[in-house]
Amino acid sequence: MSIVLKNINAGYKGFRLKEISLKIETGSFTALIGPNGCGKSTLLKTIARILPTAGGAVEIAGKNIKSERTKAVARKVAVLPQHPVVPPGISVQQLVGYGRAPHQNLLGFKTAKDHEMIEHALKTVSLIDLRHKLVAELSGGQRQRAFVAMSIAQDTPYLLFDEPTSFLDIRYQYEVLDLLRDLNNKGRTCVVVLHDIAQAARYATDLVVMKDGAIHSRGTPKTVITPQTVEQVYEIKARVYQDPVSNTAVVSPL
Amino acid sequence: MSLRFGITLTALTLLCILASVWSISAGAVQISTAEIINTLFNLDGPKQEYIINRSRLPRTLLALVTGGALALSGAIIQALLRNPLASPKIIGINSGAALAVLLGTLFFPDIALRWLPVIAAIGAIAVAVFIFALAELRPISPARLALVGIAVGFTCDAGVDYILVTASTYEFSAPLVWLTGSLWARGWSHLNAVWPALIALSALCLLLSFRLDLIRLGAAQATGLGMNVRLERLILLGLATLLAALSVSVVGVLGFVGLMSPHIARKLVGGVHRGMLPVAMLTGMLLVVLADATGRVILPPIEVSAGILTAIFGAPFFIFILLTSRSEDET
Repeated sequence: MSIVLKNINAGYKGFRLKEISLKIETGSFTALIGPNGCGKSTLLKTIARILPTAGGAVEIAGKNIKSERTKAVARKVAVLPQHPVVPPGISVQQLVGYGRAPHQNLLGFKTAKDHEMIEHALKTVSLIDLRHKLVAELSGGQRQRAFVAMSIAQDTPYLLFDEPTSFLDIRYQYEVLDLLRDLNNKGRTCVVVLHDIAQAARYATDLVVMKDGAIHSRGTPKTVITPQTVEQVYEIKARVYQDPVSNTAVVSPL
Repeated sequence: MSLRFGITLTALTLLCILASVWSISAGAVQISTAEIINTLFNLDGPKQEYIINRSRLPRTLLALVTGGALALSGAIIQALLRNPLASPKIIGINSGAALAVLLGTLFFPDIALRWLPVIAAIGAIAVAVFIFALAELRPISPARLALVGIAVGFTCDAGVDYILVTASTYEFSAPLVWLTGSLWARGWSHLNAVWPALIALSALCLLLSFRLDLIRLGAAQATGLGMNVRLERLILLGLATLLAALSVSVVGVLGFVGLMSPHIARKLVGGVHRGMLPVAMLTGMLLVVLADATGRVILPPIEVSAGILTAIFGAPFFIFILLTSRSEDET
């Protein structure tokens, strides 16, 4: 069980990934980092089959996702896009319930197991008391947690998140990241696009650094985050030092 | 939600029945409730068979099926475009159907009535295909898609206006009334031309309500939840297009029902489509029956078009809803 990318060619008009090959280890917390426009979101969308591949293959647990029904893939991989759409007139519990869709038939009637998973997801993100509130009325941090809960309810071994901390203030950023780390500790493989190098260093077990649609380097945060990498990838000179709280790398531009 | 849903559904159903009875009784000739019951259930006692069976009953039934269909169509299109301002009228489907019907009657003046729904469907599908072919060729945002629809709708409306201005002979006064959205002079033949299809399509819509919930989350999230977005979007758009087109072919451009009913329903029972769709459908039925009946009683023997009345009565209510609703429609 792992995600294997073989010579992936995908992207948009004017930007393409360059034949990316990558193996994402099961049980890892893999962070994709890199400057704006480097292709980290594109890569995540490709793994999640939101973007079609023009070449190469994405294999999840040994199967090419193209040869599988999209519903079967959805039982293995949950995705949280960068800007989740907040539907009007939907309560937290109803939103989280949508995560059960891959386990349901076309009509979407819920079983006892579905209700159990929704309950579990709501508890995990501490939104059980707000379950009947409208998603549109939640604060930014609560809203993001509601969407994370939807992914939890989907009950998949793999979780893909595209910048789950963007537009949140610092408290909620770490709240969401702690939540992902807990999920990872419970055995779910997390693949997360992050903007902040320090956050990636602090939470990820495995870093993939991208530049210009290709993988620049990968490895543990300790080995990857160096002044050389920062200079080559972000084109700034910086000092890398240990954060006294987390003992992980922090980057300070010179 | 289930108690609230049950109460709302029961209340709306009762209101629809009351409105229908009123619609059969109201008009240039007033008919009593006893006469209506006697006639409908073939009891002994005074009856009004001619007016009820030949005119008001089919007309009321037609108002019910088309009102429900337009409301469902609007709800689907709002979910597909993730835009609370969308409706079959706004994205040009109604106008496409209207233009096609007008062209059909212009070039084939003797065309049989039963072909009008087919012609309307062709016009509406042409518009829908055009809009969504664009979306397939270049990924564009739902907001832009709605704008493209508006542009196509205006083009069709221009065609309609051109035909009406240049061919303004006696035989084109009827289309003029029809275009404002009217049930004037509608009878069994119109009802029979559309009801089997409308009921089947409406049932299919209600069945697929969960898919609308998912697609409402956006293409990326819906894909992530295991939905074949392109295929299902096509099916749902096809449903919405046919529902609107068949309705337009018999009652004209009743534009406001499709826009307003889903909003009212969302306000009443929330945004989950399994509850919202049936409520929207009943709201649409109620609105059109009421508008049609009111149009018959305010200035008899002149009839005011249902389309005009739905706009006059609906618009203030609609504005009220928009002003009092929270940020929930902002996405």
